[in-house]
Amino acid sequence: MRNLRVLLLGWALHFKMLSRSSFNSVLAILYPGFFATVAFFLYREGSPHALLYASLGASVMGIWGATSTSAGAALQRERWHGTLELLVASPAPFSLVMLPVTLAMSTIGLYSMAATLLWGRLAFGISLHVAHPLLFGLAVVATVMSIGMAGFLLAVTFVRYRTAWALGNLLEYPVWLVCGFLVPISLFPGWVRPISWLLAPTWGMRAIREGATGSGSYVDVAVCAAIGAGYAIIGALVVGRLLQAARERATLALT
Amino acid sequence: MSSVRIFFIGGAIAYRGLFNWLSPWIFVPTFLVAPVFQILLFVYIGRSAHAQSDEFYVVGNALQYASIPCVFAMSNTIAGERFQKTLGYILATPAGRLPLFLGRSLPVIANGVFVSAFAFVVGGLIVGIHVPGSAVGSLGLVIVVCAASCTGLGLLSAALGLRVRETATLNNIVFGLLLVFCGTNVPLRELPGWMSFLSQGMPLTHGIEAARKLATGHSLGSVGGLIGAELLVGASYGVAGYVLLRFMEVQSRRLATLETQ
Amino acid sequence: MTSVVEVRDLRRTYRTSTGIIRRRSIEIEAVRGVSFEIAQGELFGLLGPNGAGKTTTIKMLITLLIPTSGTARVLGLDVVKDAQEVRKRIGYVFGGERGLYERLSAYDNLRYFAELYAVPPREQKQRIASLLDLVGLTGREKERVEGYSRGMRQRLHIARGLLHDPPVVFLDEPTIGVDPVGARELRATIASLTQAGKTVLLTTHYMFEADSLCSRIAVINKGQIVAEGTPSDLKSIVADRTVVEIETFGIAEETIDRLRKAPGVTSIAVEERDQAQVLLVQSAKGLELTQTLLAMLDGTTVGRVAAREPTLEDAYVALVDSVEDA
Repeated sequence: MRNLRVLLLGWALHFKMLSRSSFNSVLAILYPGFFATVAFFLYREGSPHALLYASLGASVMGIWGATSTSAGAALQRERWHGTLELLVASPAPFSLVMLPVTLAMSTIGLYSMAATLLWGRLAFGISLHVAHPLLFGLAVVATVMSIGMAGFLLAVTFVRYRTAWALGNLLEYPVWLVCGFLVPISLFPGWVRPISWLLAPTWGMRAIREGATGSGSYVDVAVCAAIGAGYAIIGALVVGRLLQAARERATLALT
Repeated sequence: MSSVRIFFIGGAIAYRGLFNWLSPWIFVPTFLVAPVFQILLFVYIGRSAHAQSDEFYVVGNALQYASIPCVFAMSNTIAGERFQKTLGYILATPAGRLPLFLGRSLPVIANGVFVSAFAFVVGGLIVGIHVPGSAVGSLGLVIVVCAASCTGLGLLSAALGLRVRETATLNNIVFGLLLVFCGTNVPLRELPGWMSFLSQGMPLTHGIEAARKLATGHSLGSVGGLIGAELLVGASYGVAGYVLLRFMEVQSRRLATLETQ
Repeated sequence: MTSVVEVRDLRRTYRTSTGIIRRRSIEIEAVRGVSFEIAQGELFGLLGPNGAGKTTTIKMLITLLIPTSGTARVLGLDVVKDAQEVRKRIGYVFGGERGLYERLSAYDNLRYFAELYAVPPREQKQRIASLLDLVGLTGREKERVEGYSRGMRQRLHIARGLLHDPPVVFLDEPTIGVDPVGARELRATIASLTQAGKTVLLTTHYMFEADSLCSRIAVINKGQIVAEGTPSDLKSIVADRTVVEIETFGIAEETIDRLRKAPGVTSIAVEERDQAQVLLVQSAKGLELTQTLLAMLDGTTVGRVAAREPTLEDAYVALVDSVEDA
């Protein structure tokens, strides 16, 4: 399947590029670590279960952080490199070409996830015991992918704004809060919950917890993947109209 | 007289010129929306973990977030000049160094005060905390003191930023440190001994404690010592930053290191 | 024989707005009715100054821009309606430093674009190897592009554009900013493309490049084609002229304008050579204008004076000038 090859190779190469950027890696790992540390202190007084809850939640924060802050400007970065017009001019479907860019960003978040779990283990003695390894692995993959797809949607939506990076930053905290990484959603007022349910990371987080300490139900993973796919489809539709406008009105200034 | 002009007017112009975060597309998300969400995040974590009161987190985070304008802006002002190569020109003028750098700090402090106050009011309203009316004025004073103190730290960061390439990474680490130490979200008594010890020497620690006391009805007089300590800490960082900047300026004339990006 | 590239009355307008208080909409016509055809195996040159509309024209042909009106067909396929099919069959190479992923090696860059252009997986390795050989980058493909010189990047661009073995190749100012030796090698590579049976459209503002490489040239200025033909056709436009080169030092603008109005003078181009401004004065053959011109230059320091046969460059100047006056 040719399209799959384009997707996978793009993912691998963009991941390679991001890994080679020291700025990205250092900050992506360190920054969520501070928030994780605070969470560990706060939950320390509670049960060991609470600490594990915090550790898993904090580890996923980095995946979103790595994506939201850079995804918005993804298209602009390609334009700045001079590669955007080459990507548009190639026969491959543009969505398939851009999706790997944001998927690579969320994959970089895995460094942060690992670092945070390790930090929790070393500094606070939080041991990670995974009850259902297969489910856990799938949950992590689904979370990374759905966040990457959300990033794709951000990239194509924010492409017109020169201040896309600030808007991306804007989304960092709200998602950390509302998707239940460090706070059970049940604590929020009723009107917030539907928002949480619509966000893929909420389900990804639940799936990861299911895999680590839960009963082993695959429902959450499935919902997470489905919503993520929904983001990708919406993004692809937006991209289609975007490119048409760019070619007609030269608004995107592809070069 | 001219030093005063450099202080006020030069500072304001440089601020607008280099710190283009005043664009609403950046200002609103970064300075207005983000701190409120940071407050909400920690208030809810606090509730979930049955840790401190809502007020505790509103005060801590509202004050801590001033570091975004105060440290980043101060640092960007100098780093930005290096970027645009104007630093060399400015240092070549006979303007007094002290009013020059201090002048740049005034708008930064004002920005920090605005951000803290806004976050405090809006965050407090959403969360639903009660602050005694009499404390409002004193809280305002503490906000100003904390912003000034952070700006002092920002000056030091600016000086370090002249040599370090990745100033953004540096400043983000500073932000994180202020989040973890300083009693922002974790009471000092719950931190390991060495951490609470270090916190005493960091900005915001004393100011946040003073603000919390005021919010629960203590008098201004009772927190006078804390406010004084905060000013002292902030001033020390400011002086250190200033000294370092002058040192590097002199060094650069000998070693030609200043214009390097 | 049907043309490989067929352009009919192509037009492209840009709309921009100016002003902050009262936003006005301005329409800029970048391409104003361009028509030409390229036959199979030709190396066709689109020659013109900066801002003439070359890049806009080529971007319409490679499907990045939709024409405001007019049609363009590549291999019989419409560039608007059959954009996807066109993209599979064309290669696009542009000049400059950008257009490559800096942190990846040349090999990774080529692998990526090979995948984008659907080069069959089994052929990719061999194709990449032979292209690296063609452009002289064998042995350096594992290095990161960020360490590449301008010339090396340019060669990598060409390799990238040929990955899927396209029958038609579009080159947009491919030698710009490249050192003379590197540029000469690049031109040799470009010339070899038509020998391999490909059809090539080349845009450039280097006259000698168009002269040496192209079998046919179209001169474009201000969005319109002002002349079309083989290099000798174009030279014949000025065949009946003489060019007098007068080296001056610190000549005033008004003096040049006065000289332009001198009887018999067709056009004057000014070339900056170090400290001197060299006037290239075109006039009809047979007219002995040198003395008149020198008299008019009284007061200005004058160096060498020489008369010569017109070149393609002079034809170009004459053509471009004529549109300026119109």
